[in-house]
Amino acid sequence: MAGTLALTKAELMRLMHNKRYFIFTVIFPVAIYLIVARSVKSTAYGVTLGAYYMIAMATLGAFSGTLNGNAQRISQEKKEGWIRQLRLTPLPPNAYVVTKVLVSMATTVPAIVIVLLLGRFYGSVHLPAWQWPVIAVTIWFGSTIFAALAVAIGYRFPPDQVQPVTLIIYFVFAILGGLWFPLAGFLGNIGKFTPTYEAVKIGTDVIQGASVSAGLAVGLVIWLGIFTVLAVVAVRSTAETV
Amino acid sequence: MSQYGTDYEASATAGSPALSSTAAEAATGYRSSRGGAPVVSFKNVSKHYGRLRAVDGLTLDLRQGETVALLGPNGAGKSTSLDMLLALRKPTGGKIQMFGSDPYHAVKSGRVGAMLQSGGLMPEVTVRELVTLVTKLHPKPEPIDTTLRRAGIAQFADQRVDRLSGGQTQRVRFALAICGKSELIVLDEPTAAMDVETRRLFWNSMKEEVAQGRTLLFATHYLEEADQAADRILVINRGRLLADGTPAEIKARAGARRLAFRLDRVDEPFLLGLPGLVNLEIRRDVVQIQSSDSDATLYAILDAGYRPREIEVTSLGLEQAFLAITAEDDRANGHTDATSPDAHDAHERETN
Repeated sequence: MAGTLALTKAELMRLMHNKRYFIFTVIFPVAIYLIVARSVKSTAYGVTLGAYYMIAMATLGAFSGTLNGNAQRISQEKKEGWIRQLRLTPLPPNAYVVTKVLVSMATTVPAIVIVLLLGRFYGSVHLPAWQWPVIAVTIWFGSTIFAALAVAIGYRFPPDQVQPVTLIIYFVFAILGGLWFPLAGFLGNIGKFTPTYEAVKIGTDVIQGASVSAGLAVGLVIWLGIFTVLAVVAVRSTAETV
Repeated sequence: MSQYGTDYEASATAGSPALSSTAAEAATGYRSSRGGAPVVSFKNVSKHYGRLRAVDGLTLDLRQGETVALLGPNGAGKSTSLDMLLALRKPTGGKIQMFGSDPYHAVKSGRVGAMLQSGGLMPEVTVRELVTLVTKLHPKPEPIDTTLRRAGIAQFADQRVDRLSGGQTQRVRFALAICGKSELIVLDEPTAAMDVETRRLFWNSMKEEVAQGRTLLFATHYLEEADQAADRILVINRGRLLADGTPAEIKARAGARRLAFRLDRVDEPFLLGLPGLVNLEIRRDVVQIQSSDSDATLYAILDAGYRPREIEVTSLGLEQAFLAITAEDDRANGHTDATSPDAHDAHERETN
């Protein structure tokens, strides 16, 4: 346990050195929010655009940070033999993956906190106090399940293929999930099955005061299950080559 | 002498050219003098990849405090053997034990420190941060400053790991192998990418580790290193152990000296019957003989009435011994690949 903590601490330290991470996870969603939030007086999913985009951008920043940063790092560290070097230490065998997921869970926090603060003070989103933590936790859960997918991609693909693979997944889940703009029609119906949509919709339902459909929460758990299975299979199948 | 040149002084002990490892043990007794259970033992260990036998029935023991070199050509099974020892790969057959338990639990108990060619470093952190991290993973580690000093990396401890030169990186990897104060240190080609001076510093710090009672196992293709640093050499080829002994014994086994001369009427059957002869090569009137007793060989030639010209008697370095042993193995297995031309090259370097 002490070893896992030491590794987690070192990983967080690396993150502080890394500026690219902040561009993807914080600066990009913040910039979009600043442009969009006040420009149109309209509604989406039954809430103001200011509230909708607050949740959508927090989710976008959180999930893209989890996906982009981790998959690339894991793949690189596998190729360069850092994972192998760790296997030669007393560190428990799963600690590396556990640490990556823990760090992912932490890395989503700045994007979520900053965008929600912007929503409150720039986007004029006024909510009862209890709704803020509920929304924050929903976004956090909905995006950190991508940490498991990042593990699967990182173990499965070499570094030069990780970039295109994560980019495709990023676009699919961002667009179909309605993070950039609310979808309707055929694509909107498909998009309802994405975890990104489910996370956002739970948030907007909470704001509306509507009862949150259990299907949305179950959907997130199913996605977590799918990504976890993919990760476990990828890690196990590469055990001898790492 | 060549770059690997090591004057061969121990030819007096070279009784039989086919000195087996057990005979060597009896002659020197150095292994029995150590006593105790072996730190590492391989019992008939194999690793097969489909039809390829990377390691093929390897059996050996390492005792506490030994410095052992694993010597073999590329693809001999050195890295695969170390991988299995470190629980990175599972043997197809046989049994490996380390400190009385299986490799996995020995590694997880922190009793082994290792530096592999395929081992990497965490990027984006400083050298000190990285060494601190790996130190914390071990139960009874060395103080961090001691590790930095021993590995010779204190002066660039605040630089980022991904901005180091090849030699510096290698020293950081070495630091990770010793920072846990482990009882067994395993190094795969440790001085690759190091310049001559760094290499010298490296072996000096290595001696410091061994002086504290640690056991050291290293794979290398620098024969000079095996000769100077190891007190025992394991020669492997095609995944099998060919020789096991002190550097002197290994040289003796291959035939201690090389005898070269010109002879007008070469009589091959006569030459093959010479005493002490280990290997014979004839190129027109030039005869080269490897002999375990060069004096006896030469006297027999003279006694038979021959008057060879341009007689040269040279010591065999470890390199020739190594090449002779592997070439012998290749011949015995019906392989006639590039080993013999290499032996000629080596000879030319030696005499130039």
